[in-house]
Amino acid sequence: MTVSTNIYKPFRARLEKVIEESPLIKTLVLVPETEFSFKTGEFIELTLDGIGEAPFTPSSSPFVKDRIEVTIMKAGYVTGLMHELPVGAVLGVRGPFGRGYPIETFFGKEVLILGGGCGLAPIRSLLYTLIEYKDKLKKVILAYGSKTPRDCIYKPLFSYLNSIDKFEAHRSVDIADENWKETVGVATVMLDKVKVDIPNAVAVVCGPPVMMKFGTFKLLEMGFAPKDIFLSMEKNMSCGLGKCGHCMMGEYFVCKDGPVFTYEEVKNQPHIW
Amino acid sequence: MNTLPEPDEITKHYEMPRDAWEKALTSLLGTYTLYAPVKRWDSIDYELISSENSSKIVYNLPKPVSPLKLFLLPVKENVVLDSDLQKPFVVLGTPACDLWALDLLDQFYLHSDYIDPYYKLRRDKMILVGTDCHTSLAHCHCSSYGLNPFPEKNQDLVISIIDGKVILEINSLKGETFIEKLAAESKLQPSENGFPDDLLKIRQAVKSEMDSRNKRLPNYQETTSVVKNAGEDTWKNHSKTCVACGACATICPTCTCFLLIDRPGFEKVRQMDACQYPGFQRVAGGEDPHKQHFVRFSNRYFCKYVFRPEKFDALACTGCGRCIEACIGKINKNEIFNELTK
Repeated sequence: MTVSTNIYKPFRARLEKVIEESPLIKTLVLVPETEFSFKTGEFIELTLDGIGEAPFTPSSSPFVKDRIEVTIMKAGYVTGLMHELPVGAVLGVRGPFGRGYPIETFFGKEVLILGGGCGLAPIRSLLYTLIEYKDKLKKVILAYGSKTPRDCIYKPLFSYLNSIDKFEAHRSVDIADENWKETVGVATVMLDKVKVDIPNAVAVVCGPPVMMKFGTFKLLEMGFAPKDIFLSMEKNMSCGLGKCGHCMMGEYFVCKDGPVFTYEEVKNQPHIW
Repeated sequence: MNTLPEPDEITKHYEMPRDAWEKALTSLLGTYTLYAPVKRWDSIDYELISSENSSKIVYNLPKPVSPLKLFLLPVKENVVLDSDLQKPFVVLGTPACDLWALDLLDQFYLHSDYIDPYYKLRRDKMILVGTDCHTSLAHCHCSSYGLNPFPEKNQDLVISIIDGKVILEINSLKGETFIEKLAAESKLQPSENGFPDDLLKIRQAVKSEMDSRNKRLPNYQETTSVVKNAGEDTWKNHSKTCVACGACATICPTCTCFLLIDRPGFEKVRQMDACQYPGFQRVAGGEDPHKQHFVRFSNRYFCKYVFRPEKFDALACTGCGRCIEACIGKINKNEIFNELTK
């Protein structure tokens, strides 16, 4: 883990490219000025100079060392301004922080991934990692839900995944339009359609809190053990160091002990969703 | 960590008349910055000591309004620029409750994963002169949590004044160095006498006084189950007069939460924060697991008695009682605990 001596001081990264993913979501491609690496599922704090800082899990592959891609939904003041940034702008980066996905524990198993909205960002990084290790995995199934076809992000990713051996990708939208040929309904309805060898599978969930909650309940109902459900928790991670307290979830600091937890680890903590 | 030896094992303690002590102390003001409690209206609080006010220092009174943490975690501090702290500083007159609180603060800010360089600098430069409490205040309850009203851990020196005589014990290398410098300025000699009986008697008396005043109060472990078992109605009911001002967190010696504020030039300012404030846990887009007031109110209790003990080998409430004194909603956590254990 590369952390500068001063844990609060960001290093600089230049905005090389902006990719418009959906009306509300953009991906910023950043070129770090300092050597940087992360493990999939770990997150960074991205600083808009003098304005504010917000946590994001990179959506790019951890195997790509000279670029960091961060997919950002316009959800508030800081993210709104991040959407307006011109190419060439300089941002601050702290991290990586936290505990990512324990990839090695997925080896020999099937991986069922449930994603929603901008929650596909950390999942894309995870998928890139799983592709690297595909020989060690039995099967990878992605079920991704968004509100409307316009809100679906990473559109080329799905055909790419479906072209890879052992990988399959499904999409659903809450409200379809006349061109939509895939599933209609909330993300969890896709779980009824997929074939998973549950005793030999793990599940990964990342998305808005309401989807995380009902997604987890659905997975439990399907027979997944709480220890086999991996949740990427969204909390107000501010310092990233387990000190400022804003992301406390019961006894845990999501920024340091997470953001990836098994349901087993968090099921007895209050206010997790 | 420094631990206080049993009184009979103390190899070095010093005795000197109060006026000689004050003279020696002021002679060291060029070497050290000194903070000590002085009387302010009906309470005491730390002030920067100079030759002008050194005679106003009060000893053996519980407890300065400001918790010790404010010397290590200023209310607002730029945490990107280099610190201008050069001189070592002495904090004199710190009671046991605040000294014990350092256990949690140190585990938090000096944890090997991420050492906070600003906290560390101050901690390294700080010389702590703890003091016995020779009385206790209405809401003092350290003894309910197994602590004693005299310094036992984390101090470099201990001071007491009995009958105009200053008694100093050394508990660390830092304390030893300080005494050597002090001795160079005065005719300070280690005492030949044994540990003063009068001091032992006072220690016992203050502890008994506190024990009898708080005899109904559950101990730490019992409080943990009281908090765990309290229902939503308890928190709703007792939070009625809470105005979420955050005073309880500000004056709490173990509250550590802060906000990072951005300044131009990629600078960051750390400002002490409170989980009682609305929006403390709100994320972009508006989701907020602590949106309801009673949830934030209960979080304080859960944090102190359930969550921190799960993760840290330190007390998250040392029984100083400041949160009770500071509450403008007149919320007394001890009354709540007494009621819940009826």
